[in-house]
Amino acid sequence: MRFCTKCVMPDTKPDLHFDEQGVCDACRSQKAKDFDIDWEARKKEFLDIVKKHKKNKYYDCIIGVSGGKDSTFQVLSVLEMGLNPLCVCFEPTIPTEVGRQNLSNLNQLGVDLIHIKRNPNVYKSMIKEAIKRVGDCEWPNHLGIFTTPAHIAVNFNIPLLIWGENSELEYGGPAASKDNACLDRKWLEEFGGLLGNRATDMLGVNGISEKDLALYFYPEDEDVQRVGVTGLFLGYYIKWDLRKILSSAQKSGFSVSDRRVETTYENFENLDCYSNHVHDYLKYVKYGFGRASDNACLDVRLGYISREEAVRLVSKYDGIPPMKAIGEFLKYTGFTHAEFDAIVDSFTNKKIFKRDTNGKFIKDIDGSLVRKEEYIVH
Amino acid sequence: MSTNIVIIDYGMGNLRSVQKAFEKVGYSATITRDHALIKEASHIVLPGVGAFGDAMKNLNSLGLSDLLHVEILEHKKLFLGICLGMQLIAEKGYEFGEHQGLGWIENAKVIRFEESALKIPHVGWNEMNFHNPSILFKEIPDHSNFYFVHSYYFEAPSTYAIGQCDYGHSFVCAIQKSNIFATQFHPEKSQTHGLQIIKNFAQLTKESLC
Amino acid sequence: MLKHRIIPCVLLKDWQLVKSIQFGSFRTIGHPTATVRVYNARNVDELIVLDIDASLNNEPINTEIITDMANECFMPLTIGGGIKTIEDVYTVLGAGADKVSINSEAIKRPSFIKEIATIFGSQCVVCSIDIKKVDGKYKVFTKKNGVLDIDPLALAKEYENQGGGEILLTSVDREGTTLGYDSELLKLFATTLHIPIIINGGMGKPEHGVEALQNGADALAAAYIFHFTQYTPLMIKEELKTHHYPVRLS
Repeated sequence: MRFCTKCVMPDTKPDLHFDEQGVCDACRSQKAKDFDIDWEARKKEFLDIVKKHKKNKYYDCIIGVSGGKDSTFQVLSVLEMGLNPLCVCFEPTIPTEVGRQNLSNLNQLGVDLIHIKRNPNVYKSMIKEAIKRVGDCEWPNHLGIFTTPAHIAVNFNIPLLIWGENSELEYGGPAASKDNACLDRKWLEEFGGLLGNRATDMLGVNGISEKDLALYFYPEDEDVQRVGVTGLFLGYYIKWDLRKILSSAQKSGFSVSDRRVETTYENFENLDCYSNHVHDYLKYVKYGFGRASDNACLDVRLGYISREEAVRLVSKYDGIPPMKAIGEFLKYTGFTHAEFDAIVDSFTNKKIFKRDTNGKFIKDIDGSLVRKEEYIVH
Repeated sequence: MSTNIVIIDYGMGNLRSVQKAFEKVGYSATITRDHALIKEASHIVLPGVGAFGDAMKNLNSLGLSDLLHVEILEHKKLFLGICLGMQLIAEKGYEFGEHQGLGWIENAKVIRFEESALKIPHVGWNEMNFHNPSILFKEIPDHSNFYFVHSYYFEAPSTYAIGQCDYGHSFVCAIQKSNIFATQFHPEKSQTHGLQIIKNFAQLTKESLC
Repeated sequence: MLKHRIIPCVLLKDWQLVKSIQFGSFRTIGHPTATVRVYNARNVDELIVLDIDASLNNEPINTEIITDMANECFMPLTIGGGIKTIEDVYTVLGAGADKVSINSEAIKRPSFIKEIATIFGSQCVVCSIDIKKVDGKYKVFTKKNGVLDIDPLALAKEYENQGGGEILLTSVDREGTTLGYDSELLKLFATTLHIPIIINGGMGKPEHGVEALQNGADALAAAYIFHFTQYTPLMIKEELKTHHYPVRLS
């Protein structure tokens, strides 16, 4: 397993590339962000685009929000520019109390908010199928958070959808995607984390029919074109720094957790949903890196910690099973511990993690998987 | 007798696929060539991929031909032959020469598809058309697709035919003679309908045949 | 009536499933178990997985992953990559594969095809040829050795004579491009071969599937389209059905 020589991202991350110096493309992108981009020009470009796309009499754009620091920051940025956004929240799978408070706080910044409460039975069926099928308990959420704002865009005649960071740029991805200012249906299908599964693949699961998936199909091409739906990454137009964003959000009432968030070392991300921690844990067992690695790499790139500190944090926090979140997830789904463990085992990376002579994965005292020597972060 | 499914291991074919299919529909199945274990079975499955002559040689040398004669023809245990396993119950097979089969289906022989515009082997998904009703096809719609992969086919009077397939001409692709069932196609590779056949077979009892 | 098959064809690299683009860069498709489960849910007709670690880096055949994938597959599974001996064939089939795909070893000695067919049957052998167009002529290509001065049609004919069950033709130039299959290549082979042809490389939309069948393909292999576009195998089949090609829809 190779690790980036600048941050600590491993080469198991899908579609991440390393150059001849062993530096990953996310780190190279950061360099570009720091030195090569004229952010003033980008901001002006953004305002021009907003003006050009305005159709609805009252709203300038739509922002898909969760209530997290990023969506709070997006709303603040857009309000600061004098724009009137319509916010759309596709509710999290298993909402937390602090998540609810933060969504309410976002609403009180002074925006109209559509809070979508979907059919819980259909959604739960998809959550349970998705974790078994592709090892991602948040699959329906990845889909819904993109498709529902698009539906609102089409139905309210608001062409412009504002997203936050381009994850391919921030975390690394195929060259084709990194310069993308736009998020459209094609981006969703290629990079939206759908793992090859599509909404149509859920038909028939627990009796799910086409009408049950209304929210999860991206709007018809003809409607998208008629309205001129255009999704933009705000991260293309404003320099994205997670700690500066956090600071900004906190000044406007955003609350952090009073303790370290499970699966990582910090306390300000992934606050609104327990299922997200389970998702991050599954990512860890599949690829050998989790949320702590993601956070540490970003912190290194932004200059907040050294690579040495990143190695220490990742070694200490990455991969610890999020017991509280798993407990909530089991309550929500009705899976037993044994069923859940069997699902996780079926996706656990046999190359990275040690097994005993019976082929069973070896676990540490805290339930963490044990990495083979050559796969320990260094 | 409670259900005890045995898959005959005679050195031909992907036995694990068949075992897996039974597991998927909720039944465990033992892969073995051990005579004692086979004698305890209620259901016997004979899969197979490969050449007729080699298969019969193996069955004979392992003493399995004689054992199966007793278990299936005398004790009337439930039998499912798959692909080559179906072909072997014919009287004769003509792949690389003439070979004796198990002879359970009178006047049946295994011959090669004629050279024609159609490609050989017959490989892919093709429809099975019902010929006579059979409990093996419970909950399976007529004209369902199953996976075929063979160059030789079972030529026999249609007395025991329960399913036919069309590839250049109609040929028997499934038979039932009392407790003896067989399919030319691979139910363990035929997704939903295939798994239904596996399940239907596993659920059979001697009584249900009457 | 025999149905035309849609067959996802993917590569195994570093315990992940990937797709290559013109035999150059790779895009990650995902975890083998997850991907096979999605294909199963989509009721695909067959699945082909080629282990490039085994074929390019001479690593041992990854029987564990083959078994993991075979355990999820209730449709035929073809495994290729690094299969050089009869023992290798036993290993791969024993791990759960239904058919083997042979590429480099058969170029060296086409009689290997006959050896496998004699023991396991022709239907077990898929002969895989990768083809690149150089100066207007089609040539055999291998990732390890590049363009070889071998006529792919003559090679395919030889494989047919040796008892190969099917031919998997991959266009290096079209692979991962979504520009459509190479019709010219297909027409050349379809008029000469008598064993089924699986065409691979380039499908970007359902119409490409129709074109390929019109040009003589028996089955369509693809992967890029299913993972990086909105098209699913069912959509391809529906398009084929509209053009009166027999396909399996349920």
